[in-house]
Amino acid sequence: MQQILPTLTRRDFLAKSAVGAGLAVGSPSILKAKDSSQEIRVGFIGCGKQHEVLFNAMVNLPGIRYIAACDIMRERLKGTVGRVRSRFGYMPNHYSDAGEMLEKEAKNMDAVFISTPDFWHAPHTVMALEAGCHVYCEKMMSDTIEGARTMVAAMDRTGKLCQIGHQRRSNPRYKYALNELIHKNKILGPIININGQWNRALASSQDIVYGKPDNLPNTATLCKYGFDAGAENKLNEEELRHRFLNWRFYTSLSGGPISDLGAHQIDIFNWFLGVQPKSVMASGGRSYFKEREHFDNVMCVFDYDTPEGNARAFYQVLTTTSAGGGYYESFMGTQGTLEISEREAYTNIYKESGADNSALWEKLVVRGYLKKDDVGKAAGGSDSIAAYESAPPDKYALPGGFSKPPHQPHIENFLASIRDEAKLTCDARHALESEAPIYWVNPAAENRETIHFTEEHLHV
Amino acid sequence: MYKLNEIFSIINSYDYNNMAQQDSSPYSDIGLTLGMLLLRIWLSIRAIQTGIEKFAGSAAGTKSVTIDGAPNDYGLTEATSSKIYAISNYQGVPGPLYEKFSNEPLSPSWSLDIYNVVLGPSLILLGFTLLLGICTRATLFAMGLLYTSLTFGLILIKQDAGVAWLGIHIIIILLALVLAKYNRLVVTNKF
Repeated sequence: MQQILPTLTRRDFLAKSAVGAGLAVGSPSILKAKDSSQEIRVGFIGCGKQHEVLFNAMVNLPGIRYIAACDIMRERLKGTVGRVRSRFGYMPNHYSDAGEMLEKEAKNMDAVFISTPDFWHAPHTVMALEAGCHVYCEKMMSDTIEGARTMVAAMDRTGKLCQIGHQRRSNPRYKYALNELIHKNKILGPIININGQWNRALASSQDIVYGKPDNLPNTATLCKYGFDAGAENKLNEEELRHRFLNWRFYTSLSGGPISDLGAHQIDIFNWFLGVQPKSVMASGGRSYFKEREHFDNVMCVFDYDTPEGNARAFYQVLTTTSAGGGYYESFMGTQGTLEISEREAYTNIYKESGADNSALWEKLVVRGYLKKDDVGKAAGGSDSIAAYESAPPDKYALPGGFSKPPHQPHIENFLASIRDEAKLTCDARHALESEAPIYWVNPAAENRETIHFTEEHLHV
Repeated sequence: MYKLNEIFSIINSYDYNNMAQQDSSPYSDIGLTLGMLLLRIWLSIRAIQTGIEKFAGSAAGTKSVTIDGAPNDYGLTEATSSKIYAISNYQGVPGPLYEKFSNEPLSPSWSLDIYNVVLGPSLILLGFTLLLGICTRATLFAMGLLYTSLTFGLILIKQDAGVAWLGIHIIIILLALVLAKYNRLVVTNKF
């Protein structure tokens, strides 16, 4: 796969990288960990919707000073500046060009939060790391695996921290389920099957439109920042603006639904199993949104060799229905099943009726590790045939949840790592180990072939 | 030791500095006096606490989940909720009812807003006035009017059970007015 980066700004990016590298070498103080009493000075690259999610998750955290913000769309930039001013009473400096922001502000910033379109993640991350800033970058790491690899290399080269926004890795419920229930107490038994999904309704999958088109960046700006990448013909302003708002639909700008929605959950498959898959087969279609470049619905199966034996994971991302239980990851062992989701409401734990370790489950309930919700009840009815039916499983629940925005623990982990009080839960290297197989789902579906992974496919 | 009827006789005969009926009053039946007192107390508590409840809210909190008797290391929490009273919680007309009334043409929004503001304080004020025995008859009448206004609202939104319940209140107030001549332990029995 070729890395596709906007050529014009890539030159800028390389030039700025040299400046940044000089800064990093010339300012050893910024390589030191921050004291816990010191403010962490942050900047934002990208001020769209995902930035708002991150800002809302960090706005109540103490010890942060917002130094600068950057976006090519003035309205979004004004929104970010306004939010900081109304909340904290001061204004961050604002820029339309990330390179300019880093050149002028890097010496004043400890960290940069990047929430730009996927095809800009790698350039922005590398630029910020080279400029001497720690980076929190949204997933998917990049629209290409080569781009993601440049991020890992930059992290290694600069020694700066690079957290990738797989926020479930810092989620107390996920960490608890993995460490206490799966690893320590092994309540599920060997995990043999995994099932995950993100089903999104048509209403939530429509093209994004912006009510005040005059406020969108103009043709020159959008071309300068690469939104015409991959286009065969010269694009007019309307087409460019559609790409700006809907970059997730274009193969040159993103990885499509499997990377946009699936990345979070397939990451959990690999994290929980502790291994990368051996192969992937997939099927996808432009079944409803026929004009879109990416598949609108994708189903895929990963095969694994785990220390407990072979296992397989099915994942589907559907953008034409919300039926079927929303979004979750389900780990099915021989003794029980953990169905976990970022949404607490979608999280359930089941014990098989004939589980060998029933006594352990009951003991864990008494000790507070689990809550027992319900005893399995047979559905009954005149259409049930006893010989076909399994006894229903008992239903359990995690003993608690957490009352913060879902992204907050991941940001807290990032800030604590800057202060040398914690270790990143999802640095770029571990993120890429987990993300690498995802880059091969679309090719597998497009070519209707099973891809057997080699070192070349998955190396970091 | 005084007998009970002697105690009430003393109470009835006490000169409350022009605040009470005189012991020469022909209305000194001890049973009816106690009955009137009971009605005053019931109606007062009903009004005062109903008014106070309009300042009630819940404070949501969290507490750490304990495992093996100790707080867990993961930051898992469970929700807690406790009832608190605060001025900021005040809602005269409960939210769902407010929405229904706001769609009623016979309850214009300006009057609904005023009613929403005065209902709680009015209940508390009338409740204390009745409990202390200040202008008992006038207070009972005002309380009856207030319950009638509530009845009007419930008729609008077809809450027949509520209308009947308020009707019982009116009967109790009527009974209290009938027994007002036996009213004792009051600050002033004028009006």
